[in-house]
Amino acid sequence: MRFMMLMIPKGYESAEPGAMPSAEAVAAMMKYNESLRKAGVLLSLDGLHPPSMGARVTFDGGKPHVIDGPFIEAKEVLGGYWMIQVRSREEAIEWAKRCPVLGNDTIEVRQVQEFADFPDDVQKELGRFPEMQPHHPGSRAS
Amino acid sequence: MRFAILIKATPTSEAGGTPDAKILEAMGKFNEELAAAGIMLSGEGLQSSSKGARVTFSGDKRTVHDGPFAETKELVAGFWIWQCKSLDEAIAWVKRCPNPFNEESEIEIRQVFELEDFGDEVTHKLRESEERLRAELAARKPN
Repeated sequence: MRFMMLMIPKGYESAEPGAMPSAEAVAAMMKYNESLRKAGVLLSLDGLHPPSMGARVTFDGGKPHVIDGPFIEAKEVLGGYWMIQVRSREEAIEWAKRCPVLGNDTIEVRQVQEFADFPDDVQKELGRFPEMQPHHPGSRAS
Repeated sequence: MRFAILIKATPTSEAGGTPDAKILEAMGKFNEELAAAGIMLSGEGLQSSSKGARVTFSGDKRTVHDGPFAETKELVAGFWIWQCKSLDEAIAWVKRCPNPFNEESEIEIRQVFELEDFGDEVTHKLRESEERLRAELAARKPN
């Protein structure tokens, strides 16, 4: 089973453009990433620049509407993620608990949708578009 | 530059239903366009938060909360990683995306940290281990 661990750092919703984690935090996280790799559970990971450097597009009916960051009403935002392959939800939670978090952050653990999770008619529709299948060869490039 | 394109959750995605055929077809075509343009690097959908959990950290304490989580608008239902020349290019592509749900919905665009974004202080140490890590992940075949 694949799970996504979503890092939600406290206060990141109001971080200035260009804000960076401290060298100490980066070093601790590198060690943790290395332990995920050694255990053979890590599939991919990325860190995200603050929302003040991003944008949101809202769809109301068919019309897209662009809002530049920061998003003042946001109470929590994503700071980064890990994609892991584990045997159970419990194992995913155990890995999340081991993360070397310095502040009062939250890690959300969410199961990834696999092709086999969809009903037959949806699988048939997805089958017409190889790019939408989770295990399409191009879907892991980084 | 790489961008994370976060499809935010809606009441429909949180209810755990499967998308309707019309949206699937439109999304399939959009994905093909992204792939043809060399934009899309990866993409996944997430199961509803009712099947998930949250671990909150406070000092040495870790507390586990089972889903679902109340703030539907803040949750992520799926994501892509795209390679674009600029934020503006990513926004232009997102504006062309079919509305992911049959209701008001939102997509957030966030730039991914690259090695060169980190200052000199950490770059040297980081670069070696980070490059090793990424090379190994890229070489690993999908299960």
